Amino acid sequence: MSYSETLEQAISTVKHQAVQMQRCLQQRKLMDALKYASIMLTELRKPDLSPKQYYELYILIFDSLSILSSYLVENHPKGHHLADLYELVQYAGNVIPRLYLMITVGTSYLKCPDSPREEILKDMIEMCRGVQNPIRGLFLRYYLSQRTKNLLPPDLFEFNANFVITNFIEMNKLWVRLQHTGPLRQREQRTRERKELQILVGSQLVRLSQIVDDNIQLYKDQILPTVLEQAVQCRDVVSQEYLLDAICQVFPDEFHLVTLDQLLNSTLHLNPEVSINKVILTLTDRLKGYMDRNEDDDSKKIDNNLFEVFWNYLKNLDEERPDLSLEQFVPLIESILGLSLRWYPNDLQKLNILYKFTTKKCKDYGKVIPSELEYLFLNLLTLKNENESGLLNANFYYEIVLQCDSFRDLLSIQSVALQRNIVSKLLDIFLQTSSETDTQANPSLVIDSKTKLDSLLSICETFIMDKSSVSAADKRKPQNDENNSNGIRTKNGSFDKPVLVNNNEENNENESSWKLDPDQEKLAKLCHLIIRSINKSLPEKKNIELQIELLFSIKAWFLKGGKNIKYTFPAIVTNFWKLIRMCHLLSIRSKSKKKLFYENLIKQLFKYASRCINDLFNICGSSFADSLYKLNIQSASLADQLSLGEIAYDFFSQAFTIFEEFLNDSRTQFQALVYMAQALQKTRSLHEDTYYNSLVVRCTLHSSKLLKKQDQCRAVYLCSHLWWATEIALIGEEEGITTDFYREGKRVLECLQRSLRIADSTMDNVQSSELMVEILNRCLYYFIHGNEHQTHVSVKYINGLIELIKTNLRSLKMEQTDIDIDPQRLSELHLDDPTLPLDTTFIIGMDGSYINVSQKSGPAPSITSKLNSTFLNEMIQIPIQHFNRTCEYIYDQREVDDRFKVIVI
Amino acid sequence: MLILTLSDAHIPDRAIDLPLKFKKLLGIPNKISQVVLLGNCTKSYEFLKFVNEISSNVTFVRGEFDNEQLPTTRKNINKQGIPMDTVIKQGDFKIGCCSGYTVVPKNDPLSLLALARQLDVDILLWGGTHNVEAYTLEGKFFVNPGSCTGAFNTDWPILGQEEPARTKASPSPKDGGDEQDKSNEQTGRNEPADNREEDGNNSSENVAQSDSFADKTSEDGSQKKNQDASGKIDLEKVNDEDEDEHEDENEELDIPDLELDGSNDPSFCLFDIQGSTCALYIYIYVDGEVKVDKVVYKKSN
Repeated sequence: MSYSETLEQAISTVKHQAVQMQRCLQQRKLMDALKYASIMLTELRKPDLSPKQYYELYILIFDSLSILSSYLVENHPKGHHLADLYELVQYAGNVIPRLYLMITVGTSYLKCPDSPREEILKDMIEMCRGVQNPIRGLFLRYYLSQRTKNLLPPDLFEFNANFVITNFIEMNKLWVRLQHTGPLRQREQRTRERKELQILVGSQLVRLSQIVDDNIQLYKDQILPTVLEQAVQCRDVVSQEYLLDAICQVFPDEFHLVTLDQLLNSTLHLNPEVSINKVILTLTDRLKGYMDRNEDDDSKKIDNNLFEVFWNYLKNLDEERPDLSLEQFVPLIESILGLSLRWYPNDLQKLNILYKFTTKKCKDYGKVIPSELEYLFLNLLTLKNENESGLLNANFYYEIVLQCDSFRDLLSIQSVALQRNIVSKLLDIFLQTSSETDTQANPSLVIDSKTKLDSLLSICETFIMDKSSVSAADKRKPQNDENNSNGIRTKNGSFDKPVLVNNNEENNENESSWKLDPDQEKLAKLCHLIIRSINKSLPEKKNIELQIELLFSIKAWFLKGGKNIKYTFPAIVTNFWKLIRMCHLLSIRSKSKKKLFYENLIKQLFKYASRCINDLFNICGSSFADSLYKLNIQSASLADQLSLGEIAYDFFSQAFTIFEEFLNDSRTQFQALVYMAQALQKTRSLHEDTYYNSLVVRCTLHSSKLLKKQDQCRAVYLCSHLWWATEIALIGEEEGITTDFYREGKRVLECLQRSLRIADSTMDNVQSSELMVEILNRCLYYFIHGNEHQTHVSVKYINGLIELIKTNLRSLKMEQTDIDIDPQRLSELHLDDPTLPLDTTFIIGMDGSYINVSQKSGPAPSITSKLNSTFLNEMIQIPIQHFNRTCEYIYDQREVDDRFKVIVI
Repeated sequence: MLILTLSDAHIPDRAIDLPLKFKKLLGIPNKISQVVLLGNCTKSYEFLKFVNEISSNVTFVRGEFDNEQLPTTRKNINKQGIPMDTVIKQGDFKIGCCSGYTVVPKNDPLSLLALARQLDVDILLWGGTHNVEAYTLEGKFFVNPGSCTGAFNTDWPILGQEEPARTKASPSPKDGGDEQDKSNEQTGRNEPADNREEDGNNSSENVAQSDSFADKTSEDGSQKKNQDASGKIDLEKVNDEDEDEHEDENEELDIPDLELDGSNDPSFCLFDIQGSTCALYIYIYVDGEVKVDKVVYKKSN
C-alpha cells in the first residue's frame, strides 16, 4: 500500500475509504472495514506534509475512526472479542496504520467493563515508541491522548499522571527532534513548523492539570519537578520558552504561589538564549491577575513573602547569569516591579529596592547607555506599562519621588535628554490630574514642607536648566526627546513643536520675538500647583509662612535656569501677588496685633515681588523690558488698591525708569504710555504727597515726546483722562453720587488743546484730519460727562473744532484724484485684476494702523502701519466717514440730551 | 457661523489650564469656524495648540503681556505681528476686537463706544477685565468674554471686600433698542450668580445645549432674565460680622481662590451669527459646573 501524490488526492482517498469502511460496517463485514481503514490510515504516512496539512488529514481520519470505535464497542463481545481484535490488528502491514488501529481497538476495549485497563494503556504507550518520525509521532501520541481522555482508570492518580507525563516527555522529545531534521538551511522553517505544533505538546500539560485537579502535593512533588526537569534537560530554546510559559498559563495561581521557588529556580538553568524576562512576565502577570480575581476575598491573599522570593531570585540571577544584557534584565525588573505594585501597593520601599538594584546594574554596565535602550528606563521610571489603566495617580508618583531615594539616583544617572523626557512626563501627570480634580477640595498632591518640595524639584533640575547649556555637558542631542517612539505625541496641529532656542539665536533675541517653550511652561504651571498643594488645614499664619518659604525655594531652583526665568518667574510673582491679597483680606478681618502683623507682611511681600522683577531684569535684560514694565505697573496697582501709596509710587517710578532706559521702539513706547495712563487713571491712593501729580505729569510729558506725531497726539489726548477720574463701581463709587472724584477740567482741556496742536501740525492730511475727528470724539466724551464749567470743554470749543475739521476735510477732498471713469467701465477694467479690489474700505485703528476691512466674512483683515498713495482715495474716506459717523452720533444724542442741539454740524 | 472668543488665559503665568469641562466642550474639531483671542493668550504652547485644534482660523489682538509679534513656532517662523485692534466681518456684522488694555479709561462704556465708532463696527469685543459682560449701547453690541481661566486679576478685585455699600441698582433689561442708558443689558459678576438660582430648572437644558454646538438654533430673541439685586449685598457683608473670633491663631485659611484672584469665574463667549442675527452664548464655570446664558442681538437698520 502506498500513499497519494498530492494532498488533494490524499483527502479524496481518505474520504473514499471512509465511505467504504462505513458501508462494510453496515454490512457487518468487519474485516473488510478494517482493510479500508488501513488504506485510509496509510495516507498519514505521506511525507512532505506541513503540520497544517497533516492536521487536516488527521481530523478527517479521527472522525472516521470514531465511527469504527463505536461499532467495535457495540458489538463486543457478541460479534467479536476486542482482546482478539487487539491481537489481530497487530498484523497490519505498516506501523502507522497498525498503531492507529491498535489504539482505536485498545481504547474501545477500555470502554468495556472487564478490560485489563492498565495493561492495555501500558502496552499502547509502549508501542507508540515505534514511530520516531517527529510529525507522525506527535500526531500519533496526540491521538492516543485524545482517545484515552476519559478512559483513564479512576482513582489511580499516579498511574494516570505517569501515563500522561510519559506521553508528554516523548512528545517533547519528538518535538525537539523536529528541529534537527532536514537540511540546515531549513532551520527557520523548522522552527516555524514547531511553533505550529506546540499546541500538541501543550495539550499534554492541559491533560495533566485536569488529572491533578486540586492536588497541590502531587503537583509540587512529582508533576512539576518532572516537567521542569524535562524542560531544562532538553536544552531547546523553543521548547523551554513554550513549556515554561505553558506551565504558568495552565496550572492555577495557587499552585504557582506554592512552587515559586521551583519555577524561578528552573529559569536559572535554561538555555542562555531563552528570554527569561518573557517567562517571568507571564508569571508576574498571572500573579497580578490573581490579586484582581481575588480582590474581594481577603482570606485568599496569603502573603508568602512573594516579594522576597522574587527579590532573592533577582539577586541569584544576577550572580549566575552575568551574561544577561540590560535589555533582558531591565524588563524583568520591570515585571517584578509591576507585581510589587499590585501586591504591595503601599510599600514603596520595595520599589526603592528594585530601583536601587537597577541603579547598580546601570553602574556595573559602565558605559553610556545606548539611546536605543533608553526606553527601558523610561518605562521603568514612568511606570508606563503599569499605568495603562490609569490606576496610578499623581499622588502615587509624588510619593515615589519623595520616598524612593533610588528612584532619584536612577534618574540622575540617565542621559540628560532622557531625564528631561521622564520629568516632562511626570509633570504632565501632576498637572493633568490637577485639572481633572479641578477643585481644591481634592488636591492631587500635598506639600507640607520644604524638604518635600526640594525632593520634587531636585528631580527637575536638568529640566529647569537651559537646554543649550545642559546639552553641551551631555554631548548628546537632547532635541529628539519628544520625537522618539514613545507614542505620546498628540495630534498634529499647525502649532507644531516650537523651534527650540539655539545658541546662535540667543544673541539676536529681541523684544518682539518670543519663543514658546513647552518645558518651561510646565515648570511655571508646577509653581501654581505647588502653592495650591499646600495643606489647607494648616493654621493661617503657618500656611502663609509656608507659602513664602516654598516660593523662595522654588525661586532658588528656577534661578538655575538662567534666562529661562523669563518663563517661570512671572508665575512666582503672581503667587506673591496672591499672597498680598490674602494677607490684605486677613488683615481686614483682624484686630490690633494681628492686623499689624499682616500689614507688615504685606510690605515684605511687595519687596519679594519686586526682587523677583529685579532678578528678571538683571538676568533677562532689555529683551524682557516691556513685560517688566507692566509687571511693575500691575504691582503698583495692587499696592494702590491696598492704599499703600508710597509703594505704588515706587513701582510706578520703577516702570518709568524702565520706559526711559529700555523701551526704544516707538510702537512699544506708545502702547506702554497708554497702558500707564490707563493704570494711573484707576489709582486712588496717590494723592497724598503729590505722588499722583508728579506721575501723571511725567506720563503726559513722555507722551508729548513720542517719536511720531500721531502717537504723541493720541497719547496726549488719552492723558487728558488722568485729570478726570471716573467711577469704579467695584469700590462703591458712582457717577453723580460720589463727590470727591479727582477732576481738573482745566488740565483736561489743556491736554486736548495740546493734542489738537499736534494734530494740526501733522503733515499727512489724512492722519491730521483723522486725529482731529478722534479729538472731537474725546471732547464729546467730556461733554456728556459734565458741565462746561467743570470740564472746560465748551460747546464753543467743540463747534470750533467741527469747523476746523470741516475745513480740513474740504481741502483733503481736493487731493482726491478724480479720474471720472464710468463705473461700468471701471468694473470692466478691474475684472482681471483681483489685486485691486473694487470696494476697498480702510479704517484707522487705535494705534494709527490702517485696517483693511474685508468685505467677505471670515478672514482677518490685513493691517499695516503705512499705506502707499495708490490708496489715497480710500484713505481720504477714512476721516470723512469717521466724521460722518460722529455727526450721526451727535444728531442721535439730540433726542435724549438737549445740550447736543447747540452743537452745529 | 460659530465664532469663539477667549480672553486673558494668562497661561502659564497665572493659570495652569482652562477648566477641564471647557476643554471638553470646545475640543470638538470642525464645529467652530473662527476663534478670536482677545489678549494675554499667546504665552502657552499647549493653549495655542488647543486653540488651533478648535479652528485654524485664529484672530489675535494684543494684550499687555503679549509680545508685539506672535511667538515663533516651527511651522510659523516668519514673524507675524499682533495688532492692537482688528475688524472681522461675519454675516451682516462688522466685529471689532481689542484687548482693552489701551482703552482709557479702562472698561469705560463711552470710551468703548468711541472706539466702536472709530472702527465702524456693530459689535465690539474687548477683554482685559476678567469679567464677562454683554450689553447694547447706541444700537451697538459690546461683549467681553471674561477670562477663560479665571486668572489672577491685578485690577480692582471683582469681589470688593472693603466696601459692602453698593447702592447702585442693576438696570432692568428692556428689549434691545436705542436706549440712552449706558447699559441696558449687562452681565456682570453678580448677575450670572443670580440667574443661576433663578434658572435652576434651566441647567439641564443648558447642558444639552452645550453638548453640541451644531444643534444650536437661534431661538426667538430670549432676553436676559431679571436681575435680583437684593441677594448680593448680603454676600459681601458676611466677612465683617465676626472680627473678634478671627484673633484665634489656629484659624484655618478659608479664603476662596476666586477672591484672591479678584477675577470672575472662568468664562468664554460663543457667537452664532446668521445674517443679521447674532446669538451670543455665555459660558461660565461656576462651582464645577458649566452654565450657559443666551443673548440675542439683531442688527438694526
